[in-house]
Amino acid sequence: MDARARQVNAFPVAVAVGTLLLVAADASRACGEALRGTTGRAENARYEIVFAAVPAPLAAGKLFSLDLAVCPRGGAAAPNALAVDATMPEHRHGMNYRPTVVARGTGTYRADGLMFHMPGRWDLLFDLVTPAGTERLTATVLLE
Amino acid sequence: MNRRYSGLAALVAGLVVGATGAEPVAGPSFTAPEVRAILAHGPWPPPWQSDPSNRVSGQPASIAFGERLFNDPRLSRPGTIACASCHLPPRSFTDGLPRAHGLAATDRNTLGLANVRRQRWFGWDGANDNLWAQSLRPLLDPREMGGDLAHVAAVVRADADLRERYRESFGAPPSAADEPVAVDVAKALAAYQETLATGRTPFDEFRDALARGDDRGAARYPAPARRGLALFVGKGRCNVCHLGPDFTNGEFHDIGIPFFAGPGRVDAGRHEGVRRVRASRYNLLGPFNDDSTRQTATATRHVAAEHRNFGEFRVPSLRDVARTAPYMHNGSLATLRDVVRHYSELDEERLHADGEQILRPLRLTDAEIDDLVAFLESLSASQANSSTSRSR
Ligand code: HEC
Ligand code: HEC
Ligand SMILES: [Cu+2]
Repeated sequence: MDARARQVNAFPVAVAVGTLLLVAADASRACGEALRGTTGRAENARYEIVFAAVPAPLAAGKLFSLDLAVCPRGGAAAPNALAVDATMPEHRHGMNYRPTVVARGTGTYRADGLMFHMPGRWDLLFDLVTPAGTERLTATVLLE
Repeated sequence: MNRRYSGLAALVAGLVVGATGAEPVAGPSFTAPEVRAILAHGPWPPPWQSDPSNRVSGQPASIAFGERLFNDPRLSRPGTIACASCHLPPRSFTDGLPRAHGLAATDRNTLGLANVRRQRWFGWDGANDNLWAQSLRPLLDPREMGGDLAHVAAVVRADADLRERYRESFGAPPSAADEPVAVDVAKALAAYQETLATGRTPFDEFRDALARGDDRGAARYPAPARRGLALFVGKGRCNVCHLGPDFTNGEFHDIGIPFFAGPGRVDAGRHEGVRRVRASRYNLLGPFNDDSTRQTATATRHVAAEHRNFGEFRVPSLRDVARTAPYMHNGSLATLRDVVRHYSELDEERLHADGEQILRPLRLTDAEIDDLVAFLESLSASQANSSTSRSR
């Protein structure tokens, strides 16, 4: 859940490759490094999504936004679009609000209009529209 | 993100040790997650924040003008019903009736107005997204005050005192255009209602004592209320919906209260509320919002219409709840004991089959019912510093 944990892993890799390939060193930088505060993450073999809530920390029953970074892995194509939604699988309901997502360039996005209206387990659903089809990444958030 | 409480957890873990330490405390002691849940119901009172959608929010002249208007029956078509006819101060601004009766019978229980400024959606169905639009509604509803924009504007123009107060509030005498004058009247009414707040309660004293680690202070909270609180944040899971300092998430749920409003009529609740708030000319996306950034309109811009909204009603605040009987959107439960029994005996068949899987019958003992009622009663301020106390 913390971007710094990832950075710690990525750093030795960058050192090992050395500065021979600046591009490679750049690509191995932690995804979403520029995001402020505590971050969460969703990932699969082809994509990594790092997100931070605004305002933080998240509170039940309060509207919030997400700042997001989407990082393709292993040569996967950059997505054309991102959609964000959330559900409470244990309660079998979604949000009472429909978020909108705006691309902010270089793989970063802003999602507005989210609310977790009760405490418990929420699954954040990220749908990436890619040239190869739509794929869904999920991150679980436990809200007190 | 789910680690945000780790520091606090350490802090409150210490408190629990404190609470179970040397001095014996009446009633149950609380686990660390329970203590966090209890602390989340405060602090109280919350800080004042003015409403950017209303340019006279917090203005003393407008508050005084609004109070005058609130008590003025001339605003109703026949000159017989004021806001205060249904919203009575000693009852935390409710009327004690199951369903309100103005010029005719309505289908809904009168909502209290204490702490009303803190709502996001107004009315049992959230058909308005701001306090001034909600204040315009009864003026125009034929079952409540039965006027129209022209009547409201005419009353203010025709009376020297109201005209002068209008000028003091808005910087110019009422114009000849009815709609802007009537909306301004609603904004003055809102400015007054923003000052209605509940005071500190026995629960708040307990909560703050717990936060301070003050066992002696905490021990003053009666044992039945303390046991009721343990049920509220424990096996009752009431705080899933009745959360935060206001004891509401400000959203909408179906807890199995029938939504048949009369022969052949249903109250669709939030389903209709979403439709109406989106269609309203007086919503925060519309021309009368004084917040030109429209940042106040985020909820309205994003609100979704869901099939499940049918028969959902707003989670009411529980502050001052002992003064606002009868209960529920249709006033169908007479006492707090009836409410707790409802949750205890919940008819799962009645909850929508495709609905949320949150509530199940609690099957409480009589003693547990007494305790939960004692807790709910501890959410009311003493008469002295109650509803009419000003938040500023
Ligand atoms: C006939 C009785 C009656 C009169 C008169 C009346 N109200 Fe109400 N009020 C109600 C009822 C009933 C509700 C709940 C309405 C609903 O859910 O749609 C309510 C709800 C409200 C709410 C919403 C509170 C919340 O928590 O969402 C506000 C604000 C309010 N009234 C203000 C006023 C003002 C201001 C006036 C005078 C202009 C007024 N009322 C006149 C009965 C009345
Ligand atoms: C699923 C969300 C949810 C849970 C959990 C929940 N409530 Fe409620 N509560 C509501 C809603 C919604 C209403 C209004 C229902 C209506 O009018 O149709 C309500 C109404 C009430 C009222 C009436 C208040 C009034 O002014 O009319 C009381 C008191 C109350 N609840 C107490 C409790 C207690 C005690 C518990 C735990 C045993 C609890 N609630 C659990 C959503 C919830
Ligand atoms: Cu839920």
